[in-house]
Amino acid sequence: MARWYRPPIIAAVVLLAGFSKLAWAQNTNSHPDLSGYWALRYDSFSVPRALLTPEAASAATAQAKHDIEAIRWCNNLGVPFILGDRTPLDIRQSPTVTAMVAMAQSSSRYIFTDGRAHPAKEDLDPTTNGHSTGRWDGDTFVVDTVGFNDHGATRIPGGGVRTPDSHLVERYRLFDGGARLSAVFTWDDAKVFQKPHTYEFRYYKTGPISGTRILACDPGDQDRAKFLLAPLGER
Amino acid sequence: MHRSIFPPVAYGAIRFAAMAAITLAFAFAQSATSGSPPPDFSGMWLVQDPGSGSFEEWFDNVPKPQLLPEIVKDNQALKASANAGNVVNVARRTAACPVGNLPLMMASSPALNIVAARDEVLVGAESNRARFIYTDGRDHGETKSPDYHPSGFGHSIGHWEGNTLVVDTVGFPARVCDSRHPVMVTPGGGRAKDTTHLIEQFRLVSHDEMTITSTWEDSTVWLAPHTYTYKFKRVEQGTPFENNEDARDPGYQQRQLGSVATPEQK
Repeated sequence: MARWYRPPIIAAVVLLAGFSKLAWAQNTNSHPDLSGYWALRYDSFSVPRALLTPEAASAATAQAKHDIEAIRWCNNLGVPFILGDRTPLDIRQSPTVTAMVAMAQSSSRYIFTDGRAHPAKEDLDPTTNGHSTGRWDGDTFVVDTVGFNDHGATRIPGGGVRTPDSHLVERYRLFDGGARLSAVFTWDDAKVFQKPHTYEFRYYKTGPISGTRILACDPGDQDRAKFLLAPLGER
Repeated sequence: MHRSIFPPVAYGAIRFAAMAAITLAFAFAQSATSGSPPPDFSGMWLVQDPGSGSFEEWFDNVPKPQLLPEIVKDNQALKASANAGNVVNVARRTAACPVGNLPLMMASSPALNIVAARDEVLVGAESNRARFIYTDGRDHGETKSPDYHPSGFGHSIGHWEGNTLVVDTVGFPARVCDSRHPVMVTPGGGRAKDTTHLIEQFRLVSHDEMTITSTWEDSTVWLAPHTYTYKFKRVEQGTPFENNEDARDPGYQQRQLGSVATPEQK
């Protein structure tokens, strides 16, 4: 191709790409688009120790066992586990719902942005991810979650566990030109925390994921079960 | 000899400007049509089956496919095996087993849960993770990698043709972990395997109705491409169900066995 063709063609491609992004921005109501694959690194965590109630503090050992059993039996692990896993988290944002999909054993998490409220407690079917609604506060995506159950991996970074009474508020904000994502988590549960427990993760945007998107799990794998449950010297 | 009223340098600049103008006009014209956002398929969608109560009847309620004689023969063997009581999958589900079954999921009663984002469309059954349809411009190249581990959902890429999402899927597993039929079966008795190609057209008919037209191609299964269309109704503000069945629960194990015993149909 003659060289003088190239600049206008490149300009056209750039313009088309720009229009495409613009169209999607309009489709997502001009809010920042959090969509992408997000990974945690060694420097992603700012997690203070939670101020637990005496009951919650004394249950810590039993909760650790509860969580490892959930992993061993390939249960849905749920929130907050999927948000702290080291495999990339896939976040996909549409105008009416945002999805979070982990590679570890878990349901997809859906955050509804269609204006709905949480169902009344008696109508709520508790899940490992809870029931989440989202709204935009400027450039920050604010997610409100209730309706957890006590299945899956329930331990919360910094201490404590999620329970059916837990209330989680998350604030997601892009920074560094969209290359990083700050997530500030605040848990509130009077039976677990003496005061709301807040911590922050900072995710890094990664390239497209290829290959396996869901890590297979075999509850019948006895070697894996022993590895997870038995002390090192007893396997 | 080339003759022009402009000096060579000026002639080049004019030619460049003209080409730029034409190309930019093309870009703007494209933006007028393709720049509008595609329809938002996001939400929960329930397949509209006739409600006979028989999944087998519904699964085969498609235009009759033109199957190769050996597939017809294999189907007869599968039916005879089921009639003889082989209705429980006793194959062990190891971590190497392919996850999922696309033809089964797209026909099943759990509502499809779609999140249509810019570069990826997620399609799950209720809150189960399932299909990832890449709309970021990638091709099927990764399915040719030795590191590719096929899932029962295959490898899907999509693009928009007007208001239709066209999805192209390959990369199904050759075998699955099912002692009853170790290859995935498609509606009407075809097969989805490593040589199979599926094209789907997702159309938003209205806010409340979506159709998905599926066309299966594989010269080792069908004599001609097999096409059928499913209708889906939107579940307004639906909340997905989470399956918290637990493999260590004896009740669950019993339900697994009981769920495959088909009640007698009238």
